[in-house]
Amino acid sequence: MTASTTGPQRFEPMLRWYPPAWRDRYGGEMAALLEDTHGSGRVPLAQRLALAKAGAAERARAAGIIGNSTGNYERVRAGSHLILCAWALFMIGGAIFVKYSEHWDAAVPRAHQWRPNDGYLTVQIAGFVGVALVAFAALVVLPALVRHIRQHGTATIRRPIRRALIAGALAVGLTAGVAVWAHHLTGHARNGGLWPYTIVGGVLGLSVIAAIATSTAAAIQVTRQLDVSPRVMRFLGSMALVLSLMMLAVVTGTVVWWQAVAQYSPQFLGSGRVIGFSNVMPAPLMGATALMCIGLVLAGSGSVRMARQLGGDLTRT
Amino acid sequence: MPRRAAAKGELGRPNEPSILILTSLADEPKHGYALTKDIETFAGVTLGPGTLYGAIARLEERGLIEPTPTGDDERRRPYRITASGRQALTAAIADMRTLAEEGALRLGLRARALAFTTTNTGQTA
Repeated sequence: MTASTTGPQRFEPMLRWYPPAWRDRYGGEMAALLEDTHGSGRVPLAQRLALAKAGAAERARAAGIIGNSTGNYERVRAGSHLILCAWALFMIGGAIFVKYSEHWDAAVPRAHQWRPNDGYLTVQIAGFVGVALVAFAALVVLPALVRHIRQHGTATIRRPIRRALIAGALAVGLTAGVAVWAHHLTGHARNGGLWPYTIVGGVLGLSVIAAIATSTAAAIQVTRQLDVSPRVMRFLGSMALVLSLMMLAVVTGTVVWWQAVAQYSPQFLGSGRVIGFSNVMPAPLMGATALMCIGLVLAGSGSVRMARQLGGDLTRT
Repeated sequence: MPRRAAAKGELGRPNEPSILILTSLADEPKHGYALTKDIETFAGVTLGPGTLYGAIARLEERGLIEPTPTGDDERRRPYRITASGRQALTAAIADMRTLAEEGALRLGLRARALAFTTTNTGQTA
């Protein structure tokens, strides 16, 4: 055994769940407590899990997501970040929905298309407004980003941005490659008839998820360091609330479309059904809706946390 | 999380970590391990490290406890209760006493306790 696995350093991995500032203040004391309690013995799994849970809670508290230890400004920012995470889930769920619902209008009789069309259109419009809101928010924080780079350089933001750019470039490259390949394939080959294409399609899906996840993480890591004025923060918070409403519209539109297609063209939903469920509940659609519902819960909690503070004093503490 | 082997049918004790820590520090400063052991002894509750230091951080933030100047071992820093901490603990104990007396009264335990005191000492409390 090396010194690092027998000394107090051996407890350090268990404390990584805590935010760095917290570890600087209490990490040494906690390691000493673990050392006094367990000596050179093993820390039980239940206690490791409890530490992970407590550390995650401290991180959420430090970010202003829970608790009252941060000011209004930090809470509005944390609420906006929570809503941005929810939007990332919606992008993934929305991508699955769009892929799955391709050519639905060819399957539903023309006389019954108005209701699914209304649902689909709601999803499209709300999705478009959501993307526009996020893009506009990025433009709004751009001056603060430039100021930050001028004052502090790029050292603290370089890593997450680089990660997001690499994941984004990979996803775009793969999409372009798959699109070119698909152009030379038959409809049967594109729809499960050619296994290498199916595998590459899966890898493409994962790369898109990675791109969305890394860009959301980068946006949060970078904007957490930016110093925007209380007025801008209030504006960003208000935009995040509108984004939450767009998510609600997307879920409503999806449910309306799903219900109408299930009623007028159940055979369209028959593929990919889950064993034990009726043939109008296909796995991809259930997965997409589940992601959206989780997102809606996140957005709801972020909105509630933020809405209470938006009218108050947003001076940074 | 606070752990205690509760007997069947027990409702539990007022085992709020912050009250347990303030109670433990009321007589003398203690560091993390000493706090854990003391709380185990007087309340029968084992506070995990995450719960203990989460509560310590919150209490310190509210100015109810403070670290004492460190000696040789910075990693075993004792904490002491502040004047505000004593005030908060006194208020919490008064609340608990009110609740305990009301519960005892409604269950008829207070009358019995008084009768017991009278029998044994020849006077009422």
